[in-house]
Amino acid sequence: MTKKLVSLVLALCLVLGVSAAMAEKLSITVWDENFNGSAIKAAVADYKANVDPEFDVDLTIVSGSSDVENDITLAASSGDYSNLPDIVLFQDHYIQRYVLDYPDAWKNIDDAGINWDDFGAEKLSYSTVNGVHYGVPVDNGTVIMAYRVDLLEQCGYTIADMTGITWDKFLEVGKEVYAKTGKALLSMDGSGNDLPYMMLQAEGESQFKDGKANIAGNEKLARIIKVICDMVNEHVLILANDWTGYTNETIMQDQVAGVMNGNWIIPTMSQVTDNSGKWQITTMPTLDGGEGYAANGGSSLYITANCKNEELAKKFLAYTFGGSTETYDNALRNGGVITCCISAGKSAVYSEGVEFFNGQAVYSDIVAMGANVPIIEQNDFHYTVRTSIGNAIQNILNGADVESALQEAQEQIDFAMDI
Amino acid sequence: MTDGSKKHAVSHIQRKLIPAYIFLIIVSFISVFPLYWMFTAATNTSLEVAQGKIWFGTYLLENYKNLTAQQDLWQAMGNSFFYAIVQTVATLLVCSLAGFGFELYHDKGKDRLFGILLLAMMVPQVATLIPLFTMVSRLKLLNTVWAFIIPGIATPFMIMMFRQNSRNFPIDTMEASRIDGLSEIGIFFRMYFPMMKSTYAAAAVITFMNSWNAYMWPRTVMKGNSVQTMPMLIANMSNGYAVDYGMLMLGVLFCSLPTIIVFFVLQKQFAEGITGSVK
Amino acid sequence: MKKKKGFGLLAKQEAAGWVFLAPASLLIFVMSFYPMVQAFINSLKTGSSANMKWAEPLTKNYLRMFKDKVFMTSMGNTFMYLIIQVPIMLILAILLAQLLNNKDLKFRGLFRTLIFLPCATALVSYALIFKTLFSNEGLINAFLKGIGIIQENVNWLGQSGTAKAVIIIALLWRWTGYNMVFFLAGLQNIEYSVYEAANIDGASGWKTFWNITVPLLRPVIVMTGIMSINGTLQLYDESVNLTNGGPSNTTITMSHYIYNNSLGQGVANFGYASALAMIVFVLVAVLAFINMKVGDTRD
Repeated sequence: MTKKLVSLVLALCLVLGVSAAMAEKLSITVWDENFNGSAIKAAVADYKANVDPEFDVDLTIVSGSSDVENDITLAASSGDYSNLPDIVLFQDHYIQRYVLDYPDAWKNIDDAGINWDDFGAEKLSYSTVNGVHYGVPVDNGTVIMAYRVDLLEQCGYTIADMTGITWDKFLEVGKEVYAKTGKALLSMDGSGNDLPYMMLQAEGESQFKDGKANIAGNEKLARIIKVICDMVNEHVLILANDWTGYTNETIMQDQVAGVMNGNWIIPTMSQVTDNSGKWQITTMPTLDGGEGYAANGGSSLYITANCKNEELAKKFLAYTFGGSTETYDNALRNGGVITCCISAGKSAVYSEGVEFFNGQAVYSDIVAMGANVPIIEQNDFHYTVRTSIGNAIQNILNGADVESALQEAQEQIDFAMDI
Repeated sequence: MTDGSKKHAVSHIQRKLIPAYIFLIIVSFISVFPLYWMFTAATNTSLEVAQGKIWFGTYLLENYKNLTAQQDLWQAMGNSFFYAIVQTVATLLVCSLAGFGFELYHDKGKDRLFGILLLAMMVPQVATLIPLFTMVSRLKLLNTVWAFIIPGIATPFMIMMFRQNSRNFPIDTMEASRIDGLSEIGIFFRMYFPMMKSTYAAAAVITFMNSWNAYMWPRTVMKGNSVQTMPMLIANMSNGYAVDYGMLMLGVLFCSLPTIIVFFVLQKQFAEGITGSVK
Repeated sequence: MKKKKGFGLLAKQEAAGWVFLAPASLLIFVMSFYPMVQAFINSLKTGSSANMKWAEPLTKNYLRMFKDKVFMTSMGNTFMYLIIQVPIMLILAILLAQLLNNKDLKFRGLFRTLIFLPCATALVSYALIFKTLFSNEGLINAFLKGIGIIQENVNWLGQSGTAKAVIIIALLWRWTGYNMVFFLAGLQNIEYSVYEAANIDGASGWKTFWNITVPLLRPVIVMTGIMSINGTLQLYDESVNLTNGGPSNTTITMSHYIYNNSLGQGVANFGYASALAMIVFVLVAVLAFINMKVGDTRD
């Protein structure tokens, strides 16, 4: 009797053990449940339905991109990768540094069978290190300039009037809008300082030149900073204290008539349902006129050194984010994630008119804009420089002159980069 | 003294105390108001919270639904309770044993060692974070309760508290117990432990609170939904492309209630235990 | 024979003492001192954390910090918090303790509980509560506007001066009650008759406070002083969660800056971060030592 029982239990264990080993499971870590979480869920559903019904993902949501960065740093410093998931989402601006500093933490995915030509070149320039592909792009950071057309109309402007204008003209319109409606034409997170970065990129300029910070003596930057300060002083631009101040106060409490940021800002804007149908998007203004293109934010998926089933991870990524229309369509529908995969951007869902944007087919417009984003010099100290420029703007607003504030920022960055 | 004059004396004293009452009421109000605000915020919508609505709303259930749909609230609550309780038991056992040993068996060598241990109070947490992580990961303890508790089991502060309180423990009792044939460890468990209840209560309150509220270290060693704690859950909610303040405040409320309840339940013993430690 | 047995027993007791304190002592050595030594060794190295090399010269990280303006700012901020917040908090805590120690006072238990409550809230939670209270459209602005003190919303967390004030207010709110409990406990150890004697002598409230309460509480003041100095010099959560060090690094604390150098901002520089942490350790130790010496002067 006991013998039978034992063998039964053993057999049961065996069956369970085998099926556990057979189950196709991957662990993935991302931040932001609604946005990135939705994209992963769309991909999992797609893969389950069309490739392997047994497939499953253990999805972990962390508080922000820095959590993933810290995990990699800690794992690599202790030489123990066993705590990492199979796949992580990693933000574009830091990945180069992390691949160079911790080469053992990542897997080369050149042979994953992905058609790289189908992705925007600017986006791929982040996840490719020394010619080797490490990441599969998820979202698209192409910058949109959205206006409340109803408020513009009150001041006698149309969205076409606002396309290809100079920042000086923008300032002028902004003053009118503020006078007539009490709303600012733009708002930004003053601590993150996406604004100068985006404005620079639209000019085809970088914060860096030959591996060094390009702040002091950067004439375009000085002009940009001046416009920014003028806009703040004229109530055309609200610089919020931090990210939640930017999203929850300026945008969601309906204080602005314009929003400019990476297109991932759309889900935030859409929370103000009262304004549905009143928005439209176009390209950015530039210093000397002409349509501006930039990209801000965005991330890609990377396979870590701890991945036990590399083949599966590659297959999953290649099938889904490598170009599956179903994945990208659902990621867009459920999370507002816009692809930078050119063929996926041509699907029917992308060319549908969007009610919130007055019926404009914003998604296909954004994918088209993405192709025009200029590639500019990047550096691992991307955010350090952003912070320093942000500090300089604060100092100028408090009375410092532009030149000396930028000189100080340059010194600060040179110090930070000299380690 | 007649009844009347007694009454008069009492009211005279109370009248003199009026400024004290006013001051204490103001301080109490300031102390409690942010907590009251946390309660009301949990019942309001995100927008109402951001605009500073100070009265209760009707959005509590909705916030709860959103919170539990988006986050594994009860898993995190369970984890936090489990870690904090294990931490409290381990810390109390190890530190009270040490306090007992340092005070009741004290000699020059032990006093000197205690002085050295006190230095550990000044070691900045940021400095040891990375070496500690490496150690815990080599021991293969990551994502286990051990990783959570091990750096906090022995703290100089707790040892000091037990050491100070042990001065109230009568040496005669020890001698008597020895004559009765009790072993040294027997004295600790049978005599010391029951006599020092209020010290244990105070130590338990402090350890439980610290452990429940810990963030930097747990965030470093505990990865994944199945091991996350309440402070980590709240931090996860407070970032993202759009923060729902009402839901967030409900999370904050859930995170604060256990420590508040623990304090309420043990506050009398807590006060007594602290009294013994500052003698 | 008898003597020998007695000696053996004593030795056994002695050994028992060591056995009791061994687990805690070992843990502290392994979990605090050993990592500290490691951090010191790291402070002499540079390079990526996966591949650290000895610095050239060895003191490179230590020399670097003198040119580091942000670190100097963070040090200034931390000391500002220390110098302003710790004395206010301790004096307020002693004052509250003295008021609550008065046997004639009614509702003592209730007051004590209410004033202690803030320190039961989690660090992450209370920072968020204060952030929403002091936000632009938040309750504090609405209230001040309502009673006419201000006309326009004050950007509390967006300006260096007010942001520092909010951090100090938050710290006072959370920790005053905690320290008060220690003082209250200290007062309960003082014979009540001492006060009654002072009252009979006709000493005023303030005189009693300065001449009797404060001197008698000296050991507790030393203890809470060390705890507060230590806590303030290692201040991290408030700087991160309330202001994130901003605007323009004007509220950043030393621990926050160290964290940013090791994990927070993408570019890990463990060597430099460890060197900075060593400075914090030395500062805490020196201040605690001074505090103990000053508190120890016997008349």
